Amino acid sequence: MQLSLQARERLFGYTLLTPCLLFVIIFAFYPILYSFYLSLHKIILSLPQLGQPFSGLDNYSALFQDRIALHSLRNTLIFVFFTTVFEILLGLVIALIINRQFRGRGLVRAAVLIPWAVPTVVASQMWRFIFNDKYGLANFLLFGSDTSAYSAWLANPVTAFAAIMIADVWKTSSFAGLLILAGLQVIPEDLYEAAQIDGASRWQQFRRITLPLVKPAILIALLFRTMDAFRVFDLVFVMTQGGPADATNVLQFYGYKKIFAEGLMGYGSTISVLVFFISLLISIIYIRVIGTGLFKE
Amino acid sequence: MIKGTGKQTIRTSGKLFKLFLGLSLIASLFFGCTQDADNGKTRIHFVTWKANVPEAWDEIFRLFKEEHPGIEVITETGPHSSTAFHDLLTQKLKNRSTDVDVFLMDVIWRKDLLDRYRLPPPRTWDQMVVQAELITEEEKRLHNADFHGFSGQFKQYEGLVCNMMEYILSNGGHILNADTGKSGLAEKEAIDAVRFVRDNVIAKIAPRGVLTYQEPESLDLFVQGKAVFHRNWPYAWGVSNNPERSRIAGKVGIAKLPLFEGNQSYSTLGGWHAGISSYSKNKDAAWTFIQFLTSEKIQKVIALKAGKAPTRTSLYNDADILKSYPHFKDMKDVFLTAYPRPRTALYPAVSNVLQRYFSRAISSPDLNLEEEANKASREIEQILSLEKQAG
Repeated sequence: MQLSLQARERLFGYTLLTPCLLFVIIFAFYPILYSFYLSLHKIILSLPQLGQPFSGLDNYSALFQDRIALHSLRNTLIFVFFTTVFEILLGLVIALIINRQFRGRGLVRAAVLIPWAVPTVVASQMWRFIFNDKYGLANFLLFGSDTSAYSAWLANPVTAFAAIMIADVWKTSSFAGLLILAGLQVIPEDLYEAAQIDGASRWQQFRRITLPLVKPAILIALLFRTMDAFRVFDLVFVMTQGGPADATNVLQFYGYKKIFAEGLMGYGSTISVLVFFISLLISIIYIRVIGTGLFKE
Repeated sequence: MIKGTGKQTIRTSGKLFKLFLGLSLIASLFFGCTQDADNGKTRIHFVTWKANVPEAWDEIFRLFKEEHPGIEVITETGPHSSTAFHDLLTQKLKNRSTDVDVFLMDVIWRKDLLDRYRLPPPRTWDQMVVQAELITEEEKRLHNADFHGFSGQFKQYEGLVCNMMEYILSNGGHILNADTGKSGLAEKEAIDAVRFVRDNVIAKIAPRGVLTYQEPESLDLFVQGKAVFHRNWPYAWGVSNNPERSRIAGKVGIAKLPLFEGNQSYSTLGGWHAGISSYSKNKDAAWTFIQFLTSEKIQKVIALKAGKAPTRTSLYNDADILKSYPHFKDMKDVFLTAYPRPRTALYPAVSNVLQRYFSRAISSPDLNLEEEANKASREIEQILSLEKQAG
């Protein structure tokens, strides 16, 4: 039987898509569904005699009464808000700088990306040393050799939390910058020329031309950064282990503790599912905004 | 919990390494995933943490090979941090881990400083605080602005539980009553001990930074000559006296931990366990290896080569060992008063509640301790009720 050209093309297309689809199904959909399945059961690894009884939404109602979980959720939201705001602002600045023509631009572009290229665990370890109370660089820069003034940044709930946010902003601003740079580069040069002829100031050019045109890129950077920040884990794991007094505990770390340290598979999965749904919600909101507000014009 | 447990544990140390299902403290030695090798040998996997002195283990494996040519031991190394190591085991073995027995803590101090100020080694915590304050004040004035009275481990992690337990138990309090399943955190003795740490240790004789310290950081402070007293596992003794790693080699004294007046000194047990995975297919071979490891001969090798305290009481009178490590003689006392952490299959969950409570209690000076202790107690009892329900 001879297939039409269209049918053959379609078949070929699906064939090419299959590996990618399989990958997504095995490594994304299956774990999500399995987490959801686990979250509906009472599974405690150190009490194997319990078996795996179905417990309905018990884990979920327990989650919303768990003061540590709610505290971690609050911490996570604060973390997400501050880090994304600063990362986007800094990212914009970085992008504007490396978009200009100047000597050694290639070098600066490469240098800006270094924090992003360093594995998070390594970077976190570095920041832990920087904020060390005895030999940390932060203390040295602030107080020099006056060691009696040295402060234990990671021992104070407020500064420990700030330290983690600083580390994250340092680490990922350049990633936001890279996404925004891509947006900047598609803005045609003649728009600026025309503006200049019309007598627009630099600020007016930025407000009226650059910002509106780079907005889609900023929103995409925002989407990526929000989702990523929501899943923060490694920084906390390496720098503070959630301490002191849970000041830096975040949802993902709490969930990890529940599953891997305490063996509460069911309850820990409930936390994962919560994180998943919140991320999903955030991305839906963003995509709505990006999809309707901007690409239509 | 029964007071005698610690002692009993030591006396029967040979029998200790039996199979304990579901018991989950911190494992340092672990057997698992065993299988039959192709070459007719029985193969066992030995999971341990990174050795401080690897040569000692090389020798042990060589000796074992000589004695038991039929068993092949494959070593897997886990992370050094007890919390991380436990997480690894949980992952590996789905928490059906088994672990038993013994290790100990002690306090070491700057002998030269105590001598200079004509002070005896502290017997009580209060004495230690007074001495630390006195020496710190003088030393700061004379030599070193960056000088502290004490260093220990108070980060929010497993080590915090060990540290705090010692204060609570040496004040006659307890964490958990194994018979009734009730938490003793909210009782007066426990609260007083926690308050003592909060008001007299953190940011007082110890720098505020101890709230971020695990073993390595706290030991660093001490070996750099910046603290009078230091609480750690016995390996710290070897490091402090090693001129390559310590500025105070030869100037160090050691004894069991102080106590509160009218009570007994207690050290937390942990970290010197061996266990067999219930999933193991070669339990006999693993048991042979454990018997070998805990034999007097091998414990002596470990003591001599790695400076680790032996798990057999007889070795504390051994002439060779005492020649190299004279302090082991005193440490037998530490050993005999050592006390295990609460025994429950759900210990990791209990520990997380404890870590949370202790960290909260000692890092915020205006916290209502009674209220927090009651909350923590309720959470612990809730966790333990799960175990009861499961039967």
